Amino acid sequence: MSLFGIAWRNIRQRLLTSVLTALSLGLGVALVVSTLVIGDIVKQAFNSGSGLGYNMIVGAKGSPLQLVLNSVYLISKPIENISWAFYEEFLPAAARTDGAAGRYAGSVQTAVPICMGDYFRGFRVVGTNAAYFDKLTWGGGGAPAGLGRRLRRAVGLADARVEPRAFAFASGRNFRDDEFFGGVLGCDVAAKLGLRAGDPFAPTHGADDGLVHDPFTVTGILARTDTPVDRGVYVNMEGFYLQEGHAKPAAEEAAVKPAPVDDHATSPVPLPASQREVTAILVETAALPGLPAELTAMGLRTAINEGRDGQAAEPIREISVLLDLFVRPLELLLLLVTTLVVIVSAIGILVSMVGSSLERSRDVAVMRALGARRSHVLATVLLEAVLLAAGGGIVGWGLGHALVAAVGPLITTNAGVSASLLSSAPAAEMLLVPFLIGLAILAALIPALAAYRTDVAKWLG
Amino acid sequence: MSTPVIELEQVRKSFVMPGGERVPVLDIDAFAVADREQCALTGQSGSGKSTLLHVISGIMRPDGGRVVVDGHDLTRLGEAATDRLRADTLGLVFQHFNLLPGFTALENVLVAMSFGSGRPSRPRAADLLASVGLSHRLHHRPGELSIGQQQRVAVARALANRPRVILADEPTASIDTAHQDQVIELLKSTCAEQGVALLVVTHSPEVAARFPKRLRLEDFNRAATHHG
Repeated sequence: MSLFGIAWRNIRQRLLTSVLTALSLGLGVALVVSTLVIGDIVKQAFNSGSGLGYNMIVGAKGSPLQLVLNSVYLISKPIENISWAFYEEFLPAAARTDGAAGRYAGSVQTAVPICMGDYFRGFRVVGTNAAYFDKLTWGGGGAPAGLGRRLRRAVGLADARVEPRAFAFASGRNFRDDEFFGGVLGCDVAAKLGLRAGDPFAPTHGADDGLVHDPFTVTGILARTDTPVDRGVYVNMEGFYLQEGHAKPAAEEAAVKPAPVDDHATSPVPLPASQREVTAILVETAALPGLPAELTAMGLRTAINEGRDGQAAEPIREISVLLDLFVRPLELLLLLVTTLVVIVSAIGILVSMVGSSLERSRDVAVMRALGARRSHVLATVLLEAVLLAAGGGIVGWGLGHALVAAVGPLITTNAGVSASLLSSAPAAEMLLVPFLIGLAILAALIPALAAYRTDVAKWLG
Repeated sequence: MSTPVIELEQVRKSFVMPGGERVPVLDIDAFAVADREQCALTGQSGSGKSTLLHVISGIMRPDGGRVVVDGHDLTRLGEAATDRLRADTLGLVFQHFNLLPGFTALENVLVAMSFGSGRPSRPRAADLLASVGLSHRLHHRPGELSIGQQQRVAVARALANRPRVILADEPTASIDTAHQDQVIELLKSTCAEQGVALLVVTHSPEVAARFPKRLRLEDFNRAATHHG
């Protein structure tokens, strides 16, 4: 019989104590694992948003972080709207009714407006135009989040830079600008709500229980991107503008009555520019000849921020600030607390083993009389601790992931990132194993040394 | 007398009491057990019987003298070598059986095997238990066995590593008279079959009377004479 077998039998002999000890350690591990995993998925999710094919967001003056959280991650509240005229300053001459290029058009490659404020069964509705999916890209900057990234991290490979990718559709297609009541769903929305291309859906105003708007039709379901886009409901902003409460109040004679549902087939009249506003503009700056793209962006940002019409925020910078100032310290604090819990649990192993030391002393004396060396009994006690730690660790690991899955919907609602049973933080989780084993050995050292020094003659009587 | 498997020369052992007083327990000029010999050792309570067994088995080191087991002088061996020699050469049977409570009968024998030089063998462990009439109790834990059955497991465990000698410390002290004869007979017959020497320490004259060779510790342990 191996020392492993002897250690296992010793554990079984004190089954209740062993189970309770392992369980207490498991609970500590569950807390650590869930903290690590949630911290990692939050970071991954925020990082995934940094490569969305635009490097600047223009919105109303206020908190730049709020602007980024709202526009990129579809969480938090919009600051305010900006005027249509300000939006047009980013458009080239061809896209403007007056035929003159906008003030910032020279520094802009793509400018996509977004309008927010509506919901569809818990998901944010974004009014935009076809350019969102035709011209913007995703995945640029870092490797996309998800299993591939996790696997690369697990084997210790650095995240490879990936080229920006065009949006692909799992089914259907993008809406056309002249399809006023067309909409595109992120893959998570479609999966959760069971919607398919061709299905109608009616957003609500301001909140899920708000005024129900006219129905839109799903023209396509996006393929997975592992970015916040997966959780968005994107509708043609022309249709969005025609919903009740979306038109800016205007002079009586200029106001246009929103189009009723029945008018869809007969091409409703677009809302006049004077009554339009946008929540934000997603801007991809142009690379001007002889000027690095970063300098173009910097110049544009300065110019916008010096003006009164709005502010320009850089998503990567804001995300970095968010991670540095809030997420990482909080994660560190949680990790410290949960690590303390694990250490307390490890002390539980010590208490359990010291508690059974009287019983153990007799058994150790018998084994020594049978020819076991001191090193044998030392190793047996340490192995017991390692087995308890491994058992508790595995249980805790499973519990931790179950906990993540259980609070996943809450995380999605409050932080805008998805979390599931399979979410993981491989590197940190793998470090947890040697940490636990080391801790268990440390905790078992006192009873192990006591076993090592057992007075055989005394216990044999 | 054939070659001794146990040989003691000028062995002295004393204990220091809490007050600092040194109390001699063993003072033996010579003592030997021959190969395949079966011997009963009697003595009054406190005469040093258990201490003698602990010294012979290397669990205790004497203060002086030589303790030779199967040709190896224990006083010259390191602790690990003594442990190995004990596992390979000696089989111990205790007064209270001292079976490991969390292990089955078979596992108790296998544990003893795992400390010896040979590979633990489940078939051999099962055979040993069968030889003491316990083939139907292999997977029972000590708590599920009768006193007599536990003692049989202890005998099988003592034989696990094909020892040269079995040291039994009051093997019948915890069992009733009816079972005493069975246990002694089992020890004697098993040791005879396997060619193993047997040294039984007992305070019972009836048990001692069943052995061809009987020794009184007081007759050759000067410390017992002074103390007792």
